[in-house]
Amino acid sequence: MISIKRFSISILLILGVILSACAPATPQPSAPSVVKETVMVVETVVVTELQEVEKLVTPTTTPGRQTLIVALAGPPDTIDPADHRNRFSETVVRDMFDGLVTRDNISGVHNELAESLTWKDEQTLEIQLRQGVKFHDGSEMTADDVVFTFNRIIQENAIEYPEAHTSPRKGLIAPLVSIEKTGDYSVVMNFSAPWPPALQLLVHQQIVPKAYLEQVGTQGFIENPIGTGPFKFVSTQPGFTEIVMERFDDYYGGAPDLAPVGPACVEGAVFRVIPEASTRVAALLAGEVDIIQAVPAELISTLEQTPGIQVKTVPGTQPKWMEMNVNQPPFDDVLVRQALNYAVDKELIIEAIYGGRAVALPGSLSPYNNYVNKSLQPYEYNVEMALELLAEAGYTDSNGDGTLDKNGQNFSFTIDSVEEHRTLAEAVADQFRAIGIDASVRFWEYSVVRPQLLAGERMAYLDDWGDSAFDPVGHFEAKWHGYVDGAAYGRGNFSTYNNERVNELIVQGETTPDTAQRQALYDEAQQIIYDEAPAVFLILPEEAEAASVRVQNWGPAADSRINLHDVCLAP
Amino acid sequence: MKAIKILERSLAAIPIMFGVAIVVFLFMRLTPGDPVDIMMGQGGAVSAGEMEQLRAEFHLDQPLHIQLWLFLKDAVRGDLGYSYVQKLPVTRLVAERLPATMELATAALLVSLTIALPVGILSATRQNSLLDRFSMAGAFLGISMPGFWLGIVLILIFAVRLKWLPVQGRVDFESQFTPVTGFFVLDSLLTGNRAALISSLKHLALPALTLGAPVSAVVARVIRSSMLETLRSDYVTLARSKGLSEWSVVFKHALRNALIPTVTVVGLQVGVLLGGNMIVETVFSWPGLGRMVVGAIFDRDFPLVQGSVMVYAFTFVIANLVVDILYTYLNPKISL
Amino acid sequence: MEITPSIATPMQRLLYLWRIRWRLTLRALKEFGRQLLGHPVALVAGIIILAYLLGAIFAPQITSHDPARGNLRLRFQPPAWQEGGSWEYPLGTDAQGRDLLTRIIYGARISLLVGGLSVGISILLGSTLGALTGYYRGRLDAIISRLADLLLAFPFLIFAIGVMAFMGPGFTNLIMALTFKGWVEFFRVVRGEMMAEKTQEYVEAARVSGLGHTAIIAKEILPNIIQSVFVLGTLRMGDMIIMEASLSFLGLGIQPHIPAWGSMVASGRDYMLVSWWVSTFPGIALLILVLSINLFGEGLRDILDPRLKLQG
Repeated sequence: MISIKRFSISILLILGVILSACAPATPQPSAPSVVKETVMVVETVVVTELQEVEKLVTPTTTPGRQTLIVALAGPPDTIDPADHRNRFSETVVRDMFDGLVTRDNISGVHNELAESLTWKDEQTLEIQLRQGVKFHDGSEMTADDVVFTFNRIIQENAIEYPEAHTSPRKGLIAPLVSIEKTGDYSVVMNFSAPWPPALQLLVHQQIVPKAYLEQVGTQGFIENPIGTGPFKFVSTQPGFTEIVMERFDDYYGGAPDLAPVGPACVEGAVFRVIPEASTRVAALLAGEVDIIQAVPAELISTLEQTPGIQVKTVPGTQPKWMEMNVNQPPFDDVLVRQALNYAVDKELIIEAIYGGRAVALPGSLSPYNNYVNKSLQPYEYNVEMALELLAEAGYTDSNGDGTLDKNGQNFSFTIDSVEEHRTLAEAVADQFRAIGIDASVRFWEYSVVRPQLLAGERMAYLDDWGDSAFDPVGHFEAKWHGYVDGAAYGRGNFSTYNNERVNELIVQGETTPDTAQRQALYDEAQQIIYDEAPAVFLILPEEAEAASVRVQNWGPAADSRINLHDVCLAP
Repeated sequence: MKAIKILERSLAAIPIMFGVAIVVFLFMRLTPGDPVDIMMGQGGAVSAGEMEQLRAEFHLDQPLHIQLWLFLKDAVRGDLGYSYVQKLPVTRLVAERLPATMELATAALLVSLTIALPVGILSATRQNSLLDRFSMAGAFLGISMPGFWLGIVLILIFAVRLKWLPVQGRVDFESQFTPVTGFFVLDSLLTGNRAALISSLKHLALPALTLGAPVSAVVARVIRSSMLETLRSDYVTLARSKGLSEWSVVFKHALRNALIPTVTVVGLQVGVLLGGNMIVETVFSWPGLGRMVVGAIFDRDFPLVQGSVMVYAFTFVIANLVVDILYTYLNPKISL
Repeated sequence: MEITPSIATPMQRLLYLWRIRWRLTLRALKEFGRQLLGHPVALVAGIIILAYLLGAIFAPQITSHDPARGNLRLRFQPPAWQEGGSWEYPLGTDAQGRDLLTRIIYGARISLLVGGLSVGISILLGSTLGALTGYYRGRLDAIISRLADLLLAFPFLIFAIGVMAFMGPGFTNLIMALTFKGWVEFFRVVRGEMMAEKTQEYVEAARVSGLGHTAIIAKEILPNIIQSVFVLGTLRMGDMIIMEASLSFLGLGIQPHIPAWGSMVASGRDYMLVSWWVSTFPGIALLILVLSINLFGEGLRDILDPRLKLQG
């Protein structure tokens, strides 16, 4: 769902390092040392499977629009990098603000504003900043700005507008205790514990100018933001329904590892919010916008066949499942939960609804996750098995009316979900009905149903939870750890699942730097979750974006970022 | 004398506005769902302490009548509270979106009157002719058609298949439009931007047509029936017998009197415009108040819904007031 | 029929009165039927409404598909006359592979039920209140009239949306949302007419002859008013049906797995570009029903209120 999910992507931590699972083995430079010299394998490793980008065509001053218009599926809630909680805000923010590090289209972390990041010890990160980086108002970025940025995020009530409150992005870098300036262009970050995904997380925080922000205040900053990104803010419509930006000619160039380096290719860019998918697509077809995100699966093939339109997909980062309330009948019985897992024909759903552009989930982690348990296979579609398990649990069709029952009560429940997942939810409900369960669906607004879910008031909930980091941290502990009031644990746990061993494993995994050890911990956790099946593990669809053929050097990113810096608009 | 009567009526509208505010407020507070939960639903992990803080901030820990009193006190000063979701003052959010809605509603009204007046008059003067039958059939269609469906079909035909008109938005980006008042058509004229004028008119066309269709149907029928009535009246027969031209009879005499019930009906239709406005804005992604309210309702953003509903109700009350005033000017025999 | 049967006992008297009433009603109905035949448009409209009604009642018998069960392999089948369509799914299928025609027929149940019930309750509530306050006046009148004025200050759809949004989806909530404001119009009409009729001579006569207030209201005045209420009711029914559809469209109607035309149009919106039939046909079904109701109501007005006939 829009806000929390996307927010979670950010929250999600970031991967450890891609190397481990995907790339050919690169020798790890560190040897785990007894005391303090454990060096984290860090950034700047170029991954071989960066997406193929088309060669740059030198833009000429041409007739035709040189402003890129992008249609977003939802409105940003703000353009303050420290104060937003939804994916759309992040998309817009990352074109106007740069961070210490950034991510390429898949999952590799690269230096951006940081020239180098070195772990002095397990809990201390030394950062050398790039020099000569200009903010949009011409001032130079220094260590003061970096320190200010992070303090603004981690300190309580550091954001004073509209009322004093703490940054909602603090949880994303929770282990960060303090940050100090050690020179004009160097800072040191101190963490409370070893933190493997630190760099992946830092991707999602952007640097803001201290002097300017202090001068105009947060409110002034939101009305006229200044950052170091490739685009400069020009104007916005109320509610951020349309944000206009222009190229920042003094841009330092961007991450040196990620070509092209230099100012942005297009003169300006506009983000326009069009929430209805069909309207978005129609706008693209009519030439009113150049790029659209979130193309519905049904329209992908139509768009692909339309001349003048190109469609691209990336492996998705929003796995979907139907969580069941494990503390209430009928879902307090593991047999029932497993039975439901066998009752869903995921292959049919993938084929019919997603046109083959999805994969079935082999449990609680996305199959692309670096720490996925490779021995787990998705629950197969087996109706007999499902009925057997249900019978064992006491559910049979004792009165021949076509519905399973137990002790005189029909097996009936409601699948709650959000409108975004209507098609999937209805299809899943239909498949349950096919085996005799009276399943219906009901749709809510996420913000309204979330408190009810956390309080265990609903029976079944179908939704996704972002996993853009390809690392369990930021996602695993949100979903499968027991709910802890006031902490990040279980903030997305809608099944009220609470297994002590799993909780232990999750906490350990967060702070274990050794990859093999982490894998073992996560493997065990995933196996337990798989067996206990607090959810029906469904599918992971690909993400599709579409653009006019004039758009070049564009490619959707796994973390849903729309990177406009590289994109060019042919005449 | 008349001025005093007008003042009287205006003052009478105030208790109604208060009543509206109270009804809306009570309604929000009495429905299930904890607002603090909802506000928290927007963010990540929140501590119990923060929840208490928020509760106190929004006065949710006070008894109901205190809350009502605080709310009214603020409302009178123009402070309608803060949106739970967008963390901005409701008044500001409403003010930002109001011009878009007003422009759409005005355009719809103009479109419907432009269609309804000639159609109604012609149908009345040529009763039972083919034109008359067609128009009345069309009018029936107009009031029977659901707005959301009409909008979708119009988009399908004119924007997607024929590509004559745009799919969404208020103006094309290329026209380099600069807002002044928030009424885009007006602003285009004020800034002398021809491209923007054409673009904003094109964007306004389909939504205004969708919103105005049922209104024009009703108004056309009312004009027709009241014209028919006046055309049969003694007054008109007298005028005709005096040898006045048909033109003069129709326009100067019959129409004048026919307008009286028409104005009343148009006043009632403002309610239709305001209500249907929410649907049409949703269908056309029109960035106005209606769409914001629908979103706010789903988000359970109480203050925003409250403030917006009140604005709608006030507009309606004022529109009725205007109608009442117009009524007196049209028919001096009737006093307020 | 005997002219003066023996009416010795009260029971026999009552039976006699009832029989007379029954025959009068029959005669009225026959007259009505004859008048209706003279209005072809209203007649056709009436037949269409009847068809919808029967279709809704006998939906399971006349449809061969399950409105709730879909077939994922048959998603978005086009209508039968288009390439790729088949007569098994005459109007095509929707996003879940459910037969559109079946769902449209079942959808009539909701529209008719909601429309009928909300108008019915509005009429009952509004007329009763209107009759009582129009006749007795006094404090009750003042309070209820103020309340009515207040409710009138809200545009109908906004009110309904607000109610539904906060009370949640559901059949009873929907009826409540619609009746909450719907009664006001009937209240005003009946009250106005009651106040007008009250001054008429026959009421004086009835009073003088000793009839109690309730009897006067019920037996003398109401029958005269009932016709305009009835006509207004048919006209409003169309509005109520559209309003239910609009609420369903916004997602504020009844639960989604029960087919309702408004939510069907809404769910088809995302596929307008390629599968236009999912949104279009339910809308057409809605249009035809409401149109028929409106035309029928108009015809009804012509018949029952001939003095309005001259105006066309």
